[in-house]
Amino acid sequence: MPTDPRPGGTGGPVPALAVRGVSKRYGATAALDHVDLEIAEGEIVGLLGHNGAGKTTLMSLVAGLIRPDAGEIDVHGHSTVRAPRRARRELGLAPQELGVYPPLTVRQNLRFFAELAGLRGRSARARIEEAAEPLALTALLDRRVSRLSGGEQRRVHTAMALLHRPRLVLLDEPTAGVDVQTRARLIAYVRELAAGGTAVCYSTHYLPEIEALGAEVAVLDDGRMIARGSVGELVRRHGDSGVELVFSGSPPALSLPWPVTREDEVLHVRVERPHLAMAEVLAALGESAGQLVTMRVVQPSLDSVFLHLTGRRRPTGAHPGDAVREATAAGCSDGSGSGSGSGSGSGSGTTPAGDGTEPPAEDRIEAGHHG
Amino acid sequence: MGDGAPGRITALVRQDFRLLARDPAPLVVRTVMPLLIMGFMLPLFRAALRADDVPDANGAEQAVPGMAVMFLFFLVNIVGFAMFREHGWNTWDRLRASPARSVELLAARLVVPLLTAVVQLAVIFGAGALLFGLRVSGSYAALAVVGVPLALCVVMVGMALVALCRTISQLSVIANILALVFAGLGGALTPQSALPDWAGPLAPGVPSYWAMRGFSAVILDGGGVSAVLLPAGVLCAFAAGLGAVTLAFFRADQRKLSWS
Repeated sequence: MPTDPRPGGTGGPVPALAVRGVSKRYGATAALDHVDLEIAEGEIVGLLGHNGAGKTTLMSLVAGLIRPDAGEIDVHGHSTVRAPRRARRELGLAPQELGVYPPLTVRQNLRFFAELAGLRGRSARARIEEAAEPLALTALLDRRVSRLSGGEQRRVHTAMALLHRPRLVLLDEPTAGVDVQTRARLIAYVRELAAGGTAVCYSTHYLPEIEALGAEVAVLDDGRMIARGSVGELVRRHGDSGVELVFSGSPPALSLPWPVTREDEVLHVRVERPHLAMAEVLAALGESAGQLVTMRVVQPSLDSVFLHLTGRRRPTGAHPGDAVREATAAGCSDGSGSGSGSGSGSGSGTTPAGDGTEPPAEDRIEAGHHG
Repeated sequence: MGDGAPGRITALVRQDFRLLARDPAPLVVRTVMPLLIMGFMLPLFRAALRADDVPDANGAEQAVPGMAVMFLFFLVNIVGFAMFREHGWNTWDRLRASPARSVELLAARLVVPLLTAVVQLAVIFGAGALLFGLRVSGSYAALAVVGVPLALCVVMVGMALVALCRTISQLSVIANILALVFAGLGGALTPQSALPDWAGPLAPGVPSYWAMRGFSAVILDGGGVSAVLLPAGVLCAFAAGLGAVTLAFFRADQRKLSWS
């Protein structure tokens, strides 16, 4: 829980990060437009947005690498513009691009950043051990970084941001290109950090990570903060649910009590409790049932929330996996599975082809992105 | 620069030493090459010096300082590379996000190249004496009084180019051209008295001219520290001017292209 009093004695807790009305332009392009964001001590905020949405710009502004054109950024009450060094002492940045010294050993990389943070001798050694252990780097300390795998290098890169025990950690796509084990380890460590009071701003494209982190969500779109809240809140407010039917030709006109939209060969029925509506939808098909290829129940999830908020629909043919429950036309009468509604979604489905080649969640999200 | 700045600069210097120790080959090559070339150029320099009224010259009096000065300016590439590789490894922004100030990041980067340049000069002069019979008729301290500002000048040329260039290719090309122009105009390739007419008026505009003038005053004319104060002072002025250029044009947030 936040404990620091606000400067000036107003009594409220000082947030680990306070971003107020921040704008940043690159020439004619507005990278960020009046963005507000607050992160409390011990809170994890998952920063979501498609490529070019402004996530890295926001991280760079908070880290003091660039200056905002307008607005204020405070890290534990220290302005990144007026007191940049005090602000930087409070934060640890692991940028999106891997930043390590390949010719040196893991220990030398870590020691350098420990020394830059003012740690020497025994205390530096202790912190190196402390940062290495949870990221499974202890056995690699004397290995040259250039000889490590990509995932191992990513862990070194992350550890370098944590050596001085920062109270605000900025992790910009920390799991990009890493394997499942490394991802799980990083997520577990981030949760551990937050439990110890560290505030974490975690940018990612991989929505299941946000759920695994138990993070609050902030969604950036074209430089604007368009949503902020818990996964559950966002799913309740913005989650799409319904029934999606794919036909071999043009979808038929159905008479249903719910809104229906057509998109190429796909017919969407927007309904709050789709598993209860399945029977009625099937009955309305009549003779058109013969043209039905696939029928899916779409449960609300962070996945669908993101696509709804950013106005990007999943392309037809990209199967939504966690977010949907799917049934073949033949077996659709059993499509009554219930999702959690909390965003994680559930259920498994099969495509008519039965190829089982559903892409991983992150690829599905990426497929709906532009820029 | 309080609040831990010396500790951070020490950390940065140690890091540069670690990186140098990991890959000393470029430095070794740049130290050995002038010694190799001296072997070939010695008879030519002997003839030039004897024609220039130094009857007992063995050629090393021109070859050693000349090649030392010329190859010292090739170190500019190493100075630049040390900065550009931080961008190539994506560590520059990490350094900027650390408690270190930009001026600390720059100041620390002077130390290892400066020591390297001084050591390179000492090795070339030492090897010149052992292998090629270089005789210094003046004061060894005077050699150092010229050598140290010269080394500083070389490092500052590198820093100025880092500030001005956006890619390592630009820096490399300009550094190589400068090294050759400085060597030619400064009298590192021929005795200053043998420079062509058009080059004479331009020569004082390059730091190598003052370095060669200082070294010649010690080696050939038997000069002491007082004899090299002017060249050393001019070299310091060059270094200060280049430092001003660096501070005026260096932008910590400029993205450098390291492998272009």
